[in-house]
Amino acid sequence: MSSHEERPEAPDGFVALPAPTAWPLVLAFGLLLIFLGVVTSAAISLLGLVLAVSGGIGWFGEVLPQERHELISMEAHEFAPKSTYRAVSRIHIDAQHRAHLPVTTPSVTAGLKGGVAGGIAMIVPATLYGLIAFHSFWYAVNLLGGAGVADWTNPTMAQITHFRLSALVTAAVIHAALSLLVGLLYGATLPMLPRHPILLGGLFAPLLWTGVLHASLSLINPFLDQKIHWVWFVVSQIAFGMVAGWVVAKQAHIRTQQYLPFAARVGLETPGLIAERHQEGLDQRTESGEEGR
Amino acid sequence: MADSTLPVDRPMELPGDLPGEQPGFTWLETLHTWVTTVDHKKLGLMYIGYALIFLLVAGVEALLMRVQLMVANNHFLSPEVYNRLFTMHGTTMVFLVGMPFIIGFANYLVPLMIGARDMALPRLNAFSFWMTALGGFFLYYSFLGAVGLQGAGSAPDTTWWGYAPLTERAFSRGHTMDYWALALVMSGIGTIGAAVNVIATVFCMRCKGMTLFRMPLLVWLNLTTAGLILVTISPLTAAQIMLLIDRYLGGHFFDSQAGGSPVLWFHFFWIFGHPEVYVLVLPAFAIANEVIPTFSRKAIFGYPAMVAASAGIAFISLGVWAHHMFTVGMSAPGNAFFVLSTGLVGVPTGIKIFNWIATMWGGKIRFTVSMMFAVAFVAQFLLAGLTGIMLSMAPWNWQLHDTYFVVAHFHYVLVGAIVFCIFSGLYYWFPKMTGKLLSERLGKWHFWLFVLGFHMTFDFMHIPGLLGMPRWIYTYQPGFGWEKWNILVGVGAFVQGIAILLFSFNMVRSYLKGAEAGPDPWDAWTLEWATSSPPPPYNFAIEPVVASRRPLWDQKHPEDPDWRYE
Repeated sequence: MSSHEERPEAPDGFVALPAPTAWPLVLAFGLLLIFLGVVTSAAISLLGLVLAVSGGIGWFGEVLPQERHELISMEAHEFAPKSTYRAVSRIHIDAQHRAHLPVTTPSVTAGLKGGVAGGIAMIVPATLYGLIAFHSFWYAVNLLGGAGVADWTNPTMAQITHFRLSALVTAAVIHAALSLLVGLLYGATLPMLPRHPILLGGLFAPLLWTGVLHASLSLINPFLDQKIHWVWFVVSQIAFGMVAGWVVAKQAHIRTQQYLPFAARVGLETPGLIAERHQEGLDQRTESGEEGR
Repeated sequence: MADSTLPVDRPMELPGDLPGEQPGFTWLETLHTWVTTVDHKKLGLMYIGYALIFLLVAGVEALLMRVQLMVANNHFLSPEVYNRLFTMHGTTMVFLVGMPFIIGFANYLVPLMIGARDMALPRLNAFSFWMTALGGFFLYYSFLGAVGLQGAGSAPDTTWWGYAPLTERAFSRGHTMDYWALALVMSGIGTIGAAVNVIATVFCMRCKGMTLFRMPLLVWLNLTTAGLILVTISPLTAAQIMLLIDRYLGGHFFDSQAGGSPVLWFHFFWIFGHPEVYVLVLPAFAIANEVIPTFSRKAIFGYPAMVAASAGIAFISLGVWAHHMFTVGMSAPGNAFFVLSTGLVGVPTGIKIFNWIATMWGGKIRFTVSMMFAVAFVAQFLLAGLTGIMLSMAPWNWQLHDTYFVVAHFHYVLVGAIVFCIFSGLYYWFPKMTGKLLSERLGKWHFWLFVLGFHMTFDFMHIPGLLGMPRWIYTYQPGFGWEKWNILVGVGAFVQGIAILLFSFNMVRSYLKGAEAGPDPWDAWTLEWATSSPPPPYNFAIEPVVASRRPLWDQKHPEDPDWRYE
């Protein structure tokens, strides 16, 4: 921040600025000709070299032994900035505003329970579809368990509707893992949905991921795309979502770290801070709300 | 606390003071003042003017390509000309439009925003501009001078990223690729000079009270971009020199038949190429960071988080390049690393989007044309990011690599985000640069036509990509289901072209007959609005003193200054 002081003293009413110069252009043009000579003729490169050296020397002459400046006249006067908006208003945030953050959350086990319950619930419509449409208990199991992929490409309908142990094992693993993971996800995200958590988590979320799957499955696995009945698929997903959401929402919630003071949340050593704050009845939420602008 | 008064100035209009702007001077004298100038504002305007000219050139190239693709089995363009057009369109848009625009804005605004009289290295600034400008003209001279297989009228034709080994002498005869490589080396030197200058200016020229964390976000983001340029232009320049060694001195860096590796080129190019996206988009974010708070009448939400997110994006962007190369056959851990690192970019980017929305939330929003472009940018950049996440997944990428889905995605970023922000910035700072307001009525026509054309072109362009249409093909057989989409895409491109012509007309008309802007037409808060429009050569007669991130807010609201809260 000392550059202004380094400029030479100018008479009153004038300011010293770097003087215009053509030498940078001469240098750049010289380099251009050097490059142009590469694709045309060495003579052009030679001319470019002469120009570039001249430009460099001229540039040095501009700054050594002293930087060349020119004087520009000026007139200082007071600028009085005015705003068309005279009033300053504040955005008021009520004390409950941060309640939309997950200040409480279901425990990990609640998510797992929800996932298990949802996983069981979605088996019902999926199996029902197989029984009604193909008179087979195993249709949905075999589709999930690998029909159309790896070493079981292009299976016949008879194969898909009959029991196959490897497909059952694969489907069970996939179904259990996905159910538990999505259940955990519900446990983490449902407290963030401010209203109607079961509706949003149970209905809209399954519709959303079904839509994504419907749009992309023809690219990922065209065989599966042809074999899935999307109405029944949506019904089974909603069954999962509603049941998992309901189970998670009914479980006892635990407090998140949002209840703790900031210093404690970032891991600073603050002995006694939590106890003191409880005694004073202070809440981090109201503090930050007051300071927000 | 520092004094928050802000004395500023008005130039004495003495004869001989501003020769280029005084009546009675010949056009040659005026030209001389511009050619020899080292003033950051004139150089900034020259960068922007240069970029606008090449925007029109690249736009015409794009329209010619869209005409060619509007119907199947079209022979409007030959395959050779089509290859040159898409190569020159891409090269032009990145190196001769995007870069000069962002460097031009940085040149014009950074010194003004930090209360300085000029850039730290004004002569280097002039040299950088001329290197960039002459590099561009050198590239286009290839249409005349690069005698390739097709004779005169040839030009580079191996895509904007120089598809190795097509660039080797065995496959690219003549000098087309030499012009391409040398032009990029030249403009690269100019870009590095500009980056060095921005860094030196920010660290050495700030006015009193302007601590790093009181700098406007535009300055922060241009500082970050300058750092990124220094890291990324170097591998590009190295690769171009290696290519020239291959072509002239019998090297074999990228010649697979002699033990070289085209994949080496891919690595070199994309180590530059992907961060280049952020070199272009961070200054676009910088424009939004100034426009959105001003027209929401609120301070930017989460200033420190915005700074950290910008640095985070720059850092992460250096580790994602090989997501452009999933189909070359990398190892599984390599694929996994670049999938994850690319996904990670979404975190700081998401922070920015949330903060822009939070800035608008509860604000008293004024939908000027500048703000409309900024709001459209936020929405479109979000969509561009979503398709980016899709493409960052290796299996998805394997399906869609080199299809029009990819073309649609990166045009969503380059046009939907960067060009929209550039328009936003031009509407916002044109009054400062010229002293005249752009017509809002014409601007709204420009905005809505451009939005319509943009979405017709690039929304629908995703679909032929999903249907398997490869990029770079000059024509196609009917029956793939691509025809109707290409017609819509072509019509949308022409609508965009009309919008840009309207904008050009608006600029000329407003410059000649527009309403006087005054020093502070938007009731804004940063230092560039504390001087006359256009600013005098010395910017500020007396060095400003600032005490907060919004010095003009402090002046306008002495009862409620920001420095109480920062």
